[in-house]
Amino acid sequence: MSDLVLQGVSKNFGGLRAVGDVSFTVKDRSIFGLIGPNGAGKTTVFNLITGVYKQDVGSITFAGKDLKPLKPAQIAAVGVARTFQNIRLFAQLTVIENLLVACELQKKAHLAAAVLRLSAHYEDEEQMNERAMELLRVFDLQDVAEEPSTSLPYGNQRRLEIARAMMLKPKLLLLDEPAAGMNYGEAEGLKTQIRWLRDTFDLSVVLVEHNMQVVMGVCEEIHVLDHGETIAHGNADEVRAHPKVLAAYLGEDDEEDAPRAGKAEMA
Amino acid sequence: MTKPAKRKSRLPLVAAGVLVVVLLLDFFLKSIIPDSSIRQLLMLAACNVLVALSLNIINGMAGQFSIGHAGFVGIGGYTSAVMASNLHASLGGGEVTFGKSFIVVPLCLCASAGVAGLFGFLVGLPSLRLKGDYLAIVTLGFAEIFRLVIATAQANDGTAKVGILAKIGAGLSSLGGQNGYQGLNNQGVPLYAGPFWVFGLAFVLGVVAWRIKFSGWGRALRALREDEIAGAAVGVDPTRYKVTSFVLAAVGAGIAGGLMAMMRDGTPTVNPDNYNFTASFDAITMVILGGSGSVTGSAIGGVFITFTIKAIELLQSSSVVQDLKRSIEGLDLNALRMIVYAMVLVALMILRPEGLLGERELFQKKPTKAPAKKADQA
Repeated sequence: MSDLVLQGVSKNFGGLRAVGDVSFTVKDRSIFGLIGPNGAGKTTVFNLITGVYKQDVGSITFAGKDLKPLKPAQIAAVGVARTFQNIRLFAQLTVIENLLVACELQKKAHLAAAVLRLSAHYEDEEQMNERAMELLRVFDLQDVAEEPSTSLPYGNQRRLEIARAMMLKPKLLLLDEPAAGMNYGEAEGLKTQIRWLRDTFDLSVVLVEHNMQVVMGVCEEIHVLDHGETIAHGNADEVRAHPKVLAAYLGEDDEEDAPRAGKAEMA
Repeated sequence: MTKPAKRKSRLPLVAAGVLVVVLLLDFFLKSIIPDSSIRQLLMLAACNVLVALSLNIINGMAGQFSIGHAGFVGIGGYTSAVMASNLHASLGGGEVTFGKSFIVVPLCLCASAGVAGLFGFLVGLPSLRLKGDYLAIVTLGFAEIFRLVIATAQANDGTAKVGILAKIGAGLSSLGGQNGYQGLNNQGVPLYAGPFWVFGLAFVLGVVAWRIKFSGWGRALRALREDEIAGAAVGVDPTRYKVTSFVLAAVGAGIAGGLMAMMRDGTPTVNPDNYNFTASFDAITMVILGGSGSVTGSAIGGVFITFTIKAIELLQSSSVVQDLKRSIEGLDLNALRMIVYAMVLVALMILRPEGLLGERELFQKKPTKAPAKKADQA
């Protein structure tokens, strides 16, 4: 069972409490939404799960394994992949090279084999190139495989980041605002893609997202944070009706327009 | 790279050709080029190519900034010089022959590579916590400590207590201090590394550097240079890759230093001043001039800088400059080198900030490039 379990997780930055006593469970093969207003601590939760930061209190386990003593690269090896809110591609590398970097963990042939050009090296490279090209086709990036990654338009860069994460063969995929900057049609496409990813690759997805159209449409369970603390948890309908959520998230400033549109959509 | 793996390679053929050429050079270079200073220059250029190739791993591929590369070169130089002298003595001394070089050179270079690699590991460790300027200062500090320890080590005059430190001091002082190490009983370091070894190893290690760059490891290292957090998130451990890059670069520098110390037609002494900051700075210039991250670029930079330094030396001894020196009191000729040098660098940074080749390579095949472009137009 590849469940992700957070229990009483807290993280302070100096005097600022970024995440306070957050607990939730992402069940195997589920699509889980993590929402909240800006600064609610969503990305910090991602950084805690992936080991960029370590929690002060509480525990994070994945598939029964405590993640706290692991370094980010080791957490990736356990099967946790992520994308970033501000796209982080390897700028000087080509599109396909961006994917190939994510293969280092699965490689059997190491540096010595590459320097001596042993057959293991060629087998590895061939296999990886094939897998990378397959994934690029899935994300419709095969035609730009040899282009520098930063020359891609914004939407393609976002998809490239997901493709790179998928290269790890993850069991848990953390998506940090994948719909940022997408229009209505693209967001609809993203919903389909997320479900398709889950079904095809047998993984769980945790989604941090402001676009309510996507969150309400695709997430089976939603966890709402505000000022680092849990204010609601449940399915789309429960969360939408929760008074604290309405107060903190939907009912305040101008940002409500987008959520309300999403709400109307769902209704 | 991403090109489909090609198993058929022309390399064995090329390697055989190079082997024949370097063998012939070993015996006939003297008759082709009678001037020993030119022979020395050519071989020095090959050694400097190795220095540049190894520094390129840290400064070009890993995106770290080391300004103490001469330290690793020096460690390799001293290790080989001491070992070659002792091996030469235990082989019965006498003539330095091509046959005996097959025992001496590989052993010495392995030792140089090993010792330099060890120090590379130690210097690489802070690279986990330090970045940019701070790391640069650590590397500079390491190189200067190495140079000054060798230059100032003094034998125990009998007053100090006999302890481990005194023994280390005595050992280091036998390296000749400021005057340099001149072999056993000051007979000079036996110069075993002929053109066969120098040019042959420059070729072999050039191929190795190329393959390192285009291996998955090299790709991962370049990825870390771009974004460490994203690299770690896809399973590339920054710690391991960075320290390994330092070790590999130090090993390459150690081999280069060993070759320089034992180079035929070179000087039979190793002097701490050969490994000062200027030497480190030269190495950086080679890499930046050729193009950070480019293997062929670094090699070109290595050759170019070697010749430039020589040209400036010749210029210094020319009659025009000598006249100038006589007419102006207190003119420092060594400053001339820095001025010309600086001018070359400033011009380069203005005209081509990415170096001659940038990160590209000469002779790089790009078979998949064409169809990708076609798809673009469609």
